[in-house]
Amino acid sequence: MHRTLRLFALVLASLFACEKPASPTAVNPPRASPTNKRIAVVPKGTTHEYWKSIHAGALKAEKDLGGIAITFRGPEKEDDREQQIGLVQNLIASRYDAIVLAPLDHRALVGPVRQATSAGIPIVIMDSGIDASAGKDYVAFVATDNEEGGRLAGKKMAELLSGKDKPAVLILRYQEGSASTALREKGFLDGLAAASPAARIIDPGRYAGPTRASAQEAAENLLSASAGIDGVYCPNESSTFGMMLALRSRGLAGKVAFIGFDSSKELVDAMRGGEIAALVVQNPIRMGYLAVKAAADHLAARPVEAHQDTGVAIIIKETMDEPQNRELLSPDLEALLGTR
Amino acid sequence: MWVIFRRVSPALSLIGALLFFWIIAPDRPLTIMDARTILLQASIVCIVALGMTLVIAGGGIDLSVGSSVALAGVIAAKMLYTSDRSAGEPSAMHVTLTILAAVATGTVCGLYNGLLITALRLPPFIATLGTLGFFRGVSKWISGSSPVYSRDGWLEHWVKPTPETAWLLVAPVVWLALGLALFAAFLLHRTVFGRQALAIGDHEEAARRCGVPITRVKLGLYALCGLLAGIAGVIQFARLGGSGDPTIQAGLELRAIAAAVIGGASLAGGRASITGTVCGTLLMALLDNRCTALGWPNYVQEMVVGHIIIIAVAIDRWRGR
Repeated sequence: MHRTLRLFALVLASLFACEKPASPTAVNPPRASPTNKRIAVVPKGTTHEYWKSIHAGALKAEKDLGGIAITFRGPEKEDDREQQIGLVQNLIASRYDAIVLAPLDHRALVGPVRQATSAGIPIVIMDSGIDASAGKDYVAFVATDNEEGGRLAGKKMAELLSGKDKPAVLILRYQEGSASTALREKGFLDGLAAASPAARIIDPGRYAGPTRASAQEAAENLLSASAGIDGVYCPNESSTFGMMLALRSRGLAGKVAFIGFDSSKELVDAMRGGEIAALVVQNPIRMGYLAVKAAADHLAARPVEAHQDTGVAIIIKETMDEPQNRELLSPDLEALLGTR
Repeated sequence: MWVIFRRVSPALSLIGALLFFWIIAPDRPLTIMDARTILLQASIVCIVALGMTLVIAGGGIDLSVGSSVALAGVIAAKMLYTSDRSAGEPSAMHVTLTILAAVATGTVCGLYNGLLITALRLPPFIATLGTLGFFRGVSKWISGSSPVYSRDGWLEHWVKPTPETAWLLVAPVVWLALGLALFAAFLLHRTVFGRQALAIGDHEEAARRCGVPITRVKLGLYALCGLLAGIAGVIQFARLGGSGDPTIQAGLELRAIAAAVIGGASLAGGRASITGTVCGTLLMALLDNRCTALGWPNYVQEMVVGHIIIIAVAIDRWRGR
């Protein structure tokens, strides 16, 4: 008994003995020097390519602007509002100098955003909207015009299916309560209805859910429930990927006009192989960059525009190798994130 | 000697973690605001983990608590919902009724678990694995699969990290959680019911022969666990700014089990500690806060918490050799 206790004490003592000399710099990254302003960037999740691009943009801003240090941290699961609320509150308690937030929910994050502002920590909203007022509750809103992106996809879908009489178009929605994707869905439906009034829209109100796996499952169920589909639309990267897998397993890939939103290596390869007809792409690198810049400008007391549009484009196989499109489709993230 | 060590080891690991972070990052000390945030964030998990500890003490497990929390939150949101945008804040009576309804919902969930386990003689793991899906499905059905944006009345004051009534020091739900912990500790260690639960967890057949009313005690344990999940559901509803989210707190059951295990509960039943469980939830919330303060990425934290659970159980097993 005494031996084990002594052993335990020894282990504890050695732990502290080892820790002490290495203390001041070993854990903090060297760039987080005390004079740098600490800006926390909070995405909706950390596993999607899209958020890695935001991260890359934020790091680019850190390098270009100087005097700031970025911390990139999100909820472990894409859809966990509770985790994101907790994270923002922890950032406030830890006295970060500014927070850049992509809110998971337009309502649930209002409280934490107001808490940050009243604690004197400026907050910049990116990607998705929130039920609070720009200029008062937060500094600026930096985002894609999502409805416009959806409309571009709707118009393209009408163009692709122009040879068909009464084409049937299936839509797989992304997630309940997500403002940005709801706008992409609405824009698509409006754009398609305007350009091709004869199109029959199959919208059973099914949601892809947070991950590629949940999207694949939802897409498989949808496809088995509906026959004779001419076109398919998905409003984000994970739903597009899940749908692509489902189309493949049913031998439908390349046979239906499939338009997705956002890009990743797999989606770009699928477009090259003719399985995806078109991809609507945002500019997440630019979004991460501009959002961090807005926060940095505000900290330096420079004027910041309250609403910033970061641009959106639609790309098809024929235009995918144009240099500006190639950059949008497959940015060299590894180089930008410094993980290579 | 070991008995004492085992009893204080959850508190020791909490102090150890505090020391560890203080040593590696002396420039980022734990502030009052940090402490308030940690306590607030531990509250929901803590309240649920109390119920889980009681159930584990009785040799059971409840995997459905996360879904019960979501269902209770959705019920609360539905109760306070109004389509009239010009409607003011709900009356105090309305809010009180809402709380009662949500807590009752949780209790019914718990009773249903208890019935499945006692009447159908299902293993708790299987019964509550089934209701994990069932309660989640019910909350999606009631909410129409999307968050119910409602009003929160005065509930929002419960969950502000800095309370509006200054002498409270911390958010009111922290005091609520503390009160419930004292109640649970009293129940488990100072009442016949608690001893009977521990006896069942230790050896069910022996307890039966000694005349312990197995069915009644088990029903009581699961109902209590559900009741506590219902209370957590109300807090969750308030934390989401007065909205009921049917997908919230998936995986809460694992955090609650982890808290109980770090706190020294044995999954084989017959042994559990409420103070241990409270320390377990605080330890996890502390790690959340410190990893954020130091800017560590998510994966570091997940790897650390995973091993804290492993080490906690390993130390416990070590004693047996």
